[in-house]
Amino acid sequence: MIQFLLKGILRDRSRSLLPIIVVASGVFLTVLLSTFMKGLFNDIIDMNAHFTTGHVKVMTRAYADNIAQMPNDLALIDVANLKEELVADYPDMEWVDRIRFGGLIDVPDENGETKTQGPAVGQAVDLLSPNTQEPQRMNMEKALRQGRLPKQPGEAMLSEDFAQKLKVELGEEVTLFGSTMEGGMAFKNFKIVGTVSFGATVLDRGAIIVDIADAQEALAMEDAAAEILGFFEGDTYDDEKAKEIVADFNAKYANDPDEYAPVMQSLKEQNDLGSLLDMSENMRIILVSVFVFAMSIVLWNTGLLGGLRRYTEFGLRLALGEEKKHIFKTMIYEAILIGFIGSVVGTILGLSVAYYLQEYGIDFSGMMKNISMMLPQVYRAQITPDALYIGFIPGLFAMVLGTALSGIGIYKRETAQLFKELEV
Amino acid sequence: MNTASIISIKNMTKRFPVGKGEFTALENINLEFGEGEFAGLVGPSGSGKTTLLNIIGSLDSPTEGTATVMGKNIAQLSHKESALLRNLHIGFIFQSYNLLPVYTVFENVEFALLLQNHTASERRKAVMDALEWVGLTDKVKSKPAMLSGGEGQRVAIARAMVKRPKILLADEPSANLDAKNSHQILKTMKQLNKELKTTFIFSTHDEKVMQYLDRTISLADGKVVKDELTVAANAG
Ligand SMILES: Nc1ncnc2c1ncn2[C@@H]1O[C@H](COP(=O)(O)OP(=O)(O)OP(=O)(O)O)[C@@H](O)[C@H]1O
Ligand SMILES: [Mg+2]
Repeated sequence: MIQFLLKGILRDRSRSLLPIIVVASGVFLTVLLSTFMKGLFNDIIDMNAHFTTGHVKVMTRAYADNIAQMPNDLALIDVANLKEELVADYPDMEWVDRIRFGGLIDVPDENGETKTQGPAVGQAVDLLSPNTQEPQRMNMEKALRQGRLPKQPGEAMLSEDFAQKLKVELGEEVTLFGSTMEGGMAFKNFKIVGTVSFGATVLDRGAIIVDIADAQEALAMEDAAAEILGFFEGDTYDDEKAKEIVADFNAKYANDPDEYAPVMQSLKEQNDLGSLLDMSENMRIILVSVFVFAMSIVLWNTGLLGGLRRYTEFGLRLALGEEKKHIFKTMIYEAILIGFIGSVVGTILGLSVAYYLQEYGIDFSGMMKNISMMLPQVYRAQITPDALYIGFIPGLFAMVLGTALSGIGIYKRETAQLFKELEV
Repeated sequence: MNTASIISIKNMTKRFPVGKGEFTALENINLEFGEGEFAGLVGPSGSGKTTLLNIIGSLDSPTEGTATVMGKNIAQLSHKESALLRNLHIGFIFQSYNLLPVYTVFENVEFALLLQNHTASERRKAVMDALEWVGLTDKVKSKPAMLSGGEGQRVAIARAMVKRPKILLADEPSANLDAKNSHQILKTMKQLNKELKTTFIFSTHDEKVMQYLDRTISLADGKVVKDELTVAANAG
């Protein structure tokens, strides 16, 4: 019987083609949008993690409370010991110091007079120690627009926009003015060896990137750091594990009343990323529900139309002694077959386009010149194992549901009534 | 002539609800049919022929009285039981042939056997036999759209007969056919009636069909007005 039905489905295009197209399109869109959203949210999370939050971050309590002001006077001190402790307690993680600072860049002309000037946001990261992962983590090679990364103390990079604004050429020296941890005046000369563009407006606006040791020296922050960022092995955020580590670390300082005592926060606790992560999950659920609902409605109606066309067949099958229940069952089998074919086609198409988007992405940079949120400019999809079923199962389900709804009509009709269709 | 009675209708009335009232389509019918009969219901449109065939075919049930088919009381059958009765014992032929357009001639006939437990080779043999009865063995692979009207109705006969039912109900089988094809299918059916002892019951207005009947039952306004044995003019 099944074989017979399969033949019918394959030969009667009008019975199969429309539902297959409906299922395949719905599944295609579900897979594509969900991988795209996954990719987008992950890029946002990764970008935030790499540039500002880490997977977990250690600061002083006071710094954490005023983080928006980059209050380096509230920075962690005795960092070497603290890091040793972190490495000993959480050996699976990588720990790095960072300092962010505000300041002023002054570009002198040949005579030492100010040529141009501008407010700067400094990022001090470990650029120079032998095994540093930081340049890679911040994607600096790719972000590089001119020149090279700093190779020795006293070298720095500017963001491309900022360099143009200040009319700085590679090789020129600039002076950074800032304030020390104690509130004194700090200044240091840097040789500009490269320019970068990270592709996120917040990161690129007025940025100067220097080695952390240079910053510590310039800002009188020896053995001090604003933040210590921790990253999981493999660079994937694991919220459960992050929570554990945070609880464990903070418990050690729970009884310390000092406002300079260290405190750890997970990625989710910072920058509202928690709600962003939750939102990404919710949006995927909403997306799938909307598609299941819409597909079911459409398939219900195509099922009704198809059913009308098949009353002759159903009447005949009743006459031949088939039970209504069996006819209904075979309709469901057909639906499973059609739903399966449509879902396979939709998933394959969806994954193909998603794969393309994962590799090449879509460049939206033109549209977000002035957005201050930390958003990537090239949007990429991300294919995760659940992409295999996130469209597939709903597609199959919608087809079966739509068919079952339309098939109820067959049930409700009297046998003799269905049979009437045969008399004409 | 009457051997064992396989259809027995006693004091049977059929009413349909129409609006708030009822419409009496059949009234106090009493009929017996034996094995191997070749009988026809004749009468004007609306006289109740189709309604009676539907009840005999267990597609509908009487309002009053009883209809017993192959020993089963139609009114008391569940949906499942009546489906089984049709599956095993009753074949239908209609005015329109109702062939399934996506399947070949062979598959259309085979379809009737799919609900019974036969092996593929048993089915193949039965289908080829049935197509031989109606003279269509050369059309096994054709689709219904490629057949003439006469051929289409012959496929329908093969489909109805392939499971060798005890009873064959034919509702206006010749209405869409020309004279030549009508005679041809009636001759085929008469032949099968003789060979397989199948009881044929027709509903018809068609004079050509009436010529072949051994028994003619006239209906008018839902009542049997005449029930006579007829000499089949075209017999043999
Ligand atoms: N389901 C129904 N509901 C109401 N009335 C019905 C129903 N089925 C049949 N009738 C009525 O019962 C009467 C007999 O109908 P039936 O179809 O048996 O006539 P018939 O003799 O087969 O006519 P024809 O020669 O035109 O096919 C008709 O008046 C018809 O309108
Ligand atoms: Mg009729």
